[in-house]
Parts: sequence; C-alpha cells; structure tokens
Amino acid sequence: MEPSPSLPTGSVRTEAASGPDAAARPSPAGPQPFPRGTRPAGRRVLLSRRAAAMAAGVLLLAAVPLAGTGYRYEPYAEQPLAVPNDVPSDARPLQQSTARLRGRQRVLAARLDALAPRGVYIVIDQTQNRLYLKRGHETLLQAVCSAGSGMVLRESGGKRREWVFDSPRGRFEVRTMLKNPVWRKPDWAFVEEGESIPTNPADRLDYGTLGEYALYFGDGFMIHGTLYERLLGRAVSHGCIRVGRDDLRKVWANARIGTQIYIY
Amino acid sequence: MRASRISTTAVALLAVVGAAAACQRGAVPAAPSDPRADAARLQRTNAQLQRQIELAAGREFYLVLDPKNAGLTLMLKGAPLQRFTVLGLQVGHPRAAWISERDPRHVQSVLWSGGELDPPRQIDRLVIQAAEPGQEAPESTPPPIPPTPEELYPVPSRYHVRFADGLSVEILPREADASVGRWAHARAAMAERWRDIFSALRTSGRDAIRLRITLDPKEAQSFYRSLPPAVRLIVLDGEVEPAQPAPAESGAGR
Repeated sequence: MEPSPSLPTGSVRTEAASGPDAAARPSPAGPQPFPRGTRPAGRRVLLSRRAAAMAAGVLLLAAVPLAGTGYRYEPYAEQPLAVPNDVPSDARPLQQSTARLRGRQRVLAARLDALAPRGVYIVIDQTQNRLYLKRGHETLLQAVCSAGSGMVLRESGGKRREWVFDSPRGRFEVRTMLKNPVWRKPDWAFVEEGESIPTNPADRLDYGTLGEYALYFGDGFMIHGTLYERLLGRAVSHGCIRVGRDDLRKVWANARIGTQIYIY
Repeated sequence: MRASRISTTAVALLAVVGAAAACQRGAVPAAPSDPRADAARLQRTNAQLQRQIELAAGREFYLVLDPKNAGLTLMLKGAPLQRFTVLGLQVGHPRAAWISERDPRHVQSVLWSGGELDPPRQIDRLVIQAAEPGQEAPESTPPPIPPTPEELYPVPSRYHVRFADGLSVEILPREADASVGRWAHARAAMAERWRDIFSALRTSGRDAIRLRITLDPKEAQSFYRSLPPAVRLIVLDGEVEPAQPAPAESGAGR
C-alpha cells in the first residue's frame, strides 16, 4: 500500500513514492543509478528548496544593511558644555570674568528686548487669512480677514500692463487712519471692469466700499472693511486686508499711527 | 537540520546588528556645575543672545525653537507672530548599512538659513485677461467662490523645511490624519522610508542633520500653510521638556 500524503512520512518520500517512476524509490541498499536525461522528483524538490533557502539568505543579507540605512533619531539633548581655554582658572580672575559676562548678558538682553515691538501690534497670516491683535505674547483679538488673491490681471489695450494682487510680506506701520474712507480707485479697478480710465480725478472716487475705517500702511495697501463679509477667510482682495465690521472696530480702537503691522 | 542552521544564522546576524546598534548610542556628558562651567555657560548664552539680535535686526522671517519651553515661534524683527507647541524633538543623523555619519555640528551652535518647504507650497495663480474698454465683455458666468486655504493648500502627512548646508527640519504630526485611509498611510510611510534611504546614501545634497519636530496635526498643517520663504532658525539652550498636549488657547499663540 502506498503511503498516504497525509501520513507523517516526510514530503520528499511521499512525493517520490507517488511519482510516475516507481523505480526511483531508493532501495535500502542505497541510491540506484538513474537513466540519462531523467532526474528524480525528490532531488528536484531538494534542489528547489536549497535554491529557495539560498534566495532567502541573499535577501536577508541584502535586507540587513538596507534596514540600517536611512536616518537614526535620538532624543534631543542640549549641546554638551565645554569650558573654553580663555576662561581663567584662578578664583579672582574667574570672578571678574564672570561679572563681566553677566554685565554683557544684561546689555545684550536689553538690546534684544529693544528690538521687539512696543505695545499693541497687528499680525496678519495672509495664507490662512487671519488677523491678530497682539501685545507681546498675548493675543488680544483673532479675526478672520481676506488677503490678496494672488490673481494676475492683464490689460488688453493701452499700455498692456499687468498687476499681481498679492499682499506684501514684512513689517509695516500704520501711516494714516481714516474714518469713513473714500476709495480713490486706481487704474486696475477700471481695467478689471473693462472700463475706460477716467481723466477726471473725481470719477475715481468710490464711497462706502472700504467700510467704516481704513488703516493705510503704504504702497496703496490698507486694512479696511468690506461689503463682502461672506468671503472673509478666503483670499479675494487685491492686496489690501479686508476685515469684518465688528473686528475692524476693535482694530481701530487699539491701533495708533505708528502701530506695527507684520504680514507673513 | 538545514532549517535550524538557517535560523541560527539569522539569530546570529540579528545579534550582530543589535550589538552594532547598541554601540552607536553614545552617552551625553553631563554638564559640570563648577564656577568655570558657569562662566562657560554665560559665554554661550551671550553668543546665543548675539545671534538672536542678529536675527531680530535682519529682514528675514525666523523660527525660534525653544526646547525648554517646548515652543517653536515664527518671528520677524523681534516680534512673535505665531507659536507652535512642540510635542517631541529628536535629532536624526544619516547612516548607511548601520554605520552612522554623525555631523560634528550641534544644532544649537549654528544659525540655520534659507529654509524652504519641501514639498513646496504651490501657488496656482489665476490669470485674467481684461476686456478692452468699451468692448462688450464676453458672456460671463458668475465668478466662482474662491477656495479656502484648506482647499487651496493640501498638506502632506509629513514634510521638511530644508535649510542651507544640509540642515533640515522634519515636521511630523503627532497622530495620523484620520481622514486618510490606512493604505494611503502605509504608502506614504513606505515612500518616506525609501526617500530616507536614498537621502542617506547620497554623498552630497543630503540632510546631514535632521531635527524632527512633532506637532499637533492641526498645528502641523497651519505651519505648512503659514511658513514664509527663506526662513531662518535658531535653537535655544535647554533640554526638551516631556511632551504635553497643547492648551486649547495657547496652541498657536492665537
């Protein structure tokens, strides 16, 4: 009776026994020579297993250096303190040197402090369309605003000018504060509407568009109100900073001529 | 028999790898507390203040990483603009086949400059050709509502700010974005792993030192959307404090 494949007789033996060549079964006396051109199934399996083991070994060998390639992270540790040679070792010169260093530290700290803005300042995150009113690290107001859309406008006729509606980045200061401001429309406002640029300056004046207040900070840019409060939080302006009515009132109440404006 | 030989080899290899990894962990020497060390510490503080003054007097935006207070603050001319709470801080060095290539510079000792987002934040500008005055504008549809910043700038799951001279900051959200599927996470992690391998194997233009900063996911997104170009960075004195969840109000200094 042939051994069943499910019997625990070892797979090599089982496959050899169930193979087509029953004569290939090893005799108790040892292996028999095989006819030329034939290879016993048992040996084939053995060879393929050896190849698989070798392939696995090669893969493992390749995987080990690969696993150790990349970046190794360790918790951040402060720079170890090394005492430089110019630090004296005798008690008295050391005391003097330390006192001098402390004095220098006070001067530097004061100088750094002097560079920070005094009082209230305005911070505008133009990518996320947020305006903050701050004093030091304290935030007095967080408001949703609208900054420059980044749109490009090209003039078809005339001088074929081009305008890019970005809000500027950097530090500015409030130069003029206007109540009930009147907008003196620049050329691009007419070009955008497909209108002729007026020759009469009075035709440029637009009432009510800028809301109740405007804080002018140079180069034609202002923080002002808007008729389109539903668009606050989206970059839709021509470079100015649009703020909702209630928030604009708070900004107006806290700002002065010279208030620093930081736009990033 | 053969199987047991293979497993023995594998165990031996793993043991060698483990030993090599253990050897690479160096102990950080403790700072002495004698008067000379105090003077040296003062010197270092003064040098750092000097660098902060240099940054505050400059025109570029800069980041101040304060490990002691677990804060990363975007600043301009001495004014804090936005603060992010640091939940974890690690330093990474490249290594090839378990051999570390440690850069001798310490992250505290240098002013990092020219920081740019990688991948960069793309600006998709809408170009409008104005109609000629007097001409009837072509039949126009009402203008679409412009996208929100969230729609406009998708944020990668993890990203870098690459500075000059092989310095890099890796921003890692504390937990994965729940809106992204597991498969997408696995794919992103695999891609990141391969990028790390290729970066570590490069001889030039790679990250020689990486600062891995873990942020709250919302802050990580906000940081990506807000970071101005050509930013600089300074790392202040102090060990990193254990990570604490950001208080709701002071999260981004808002």
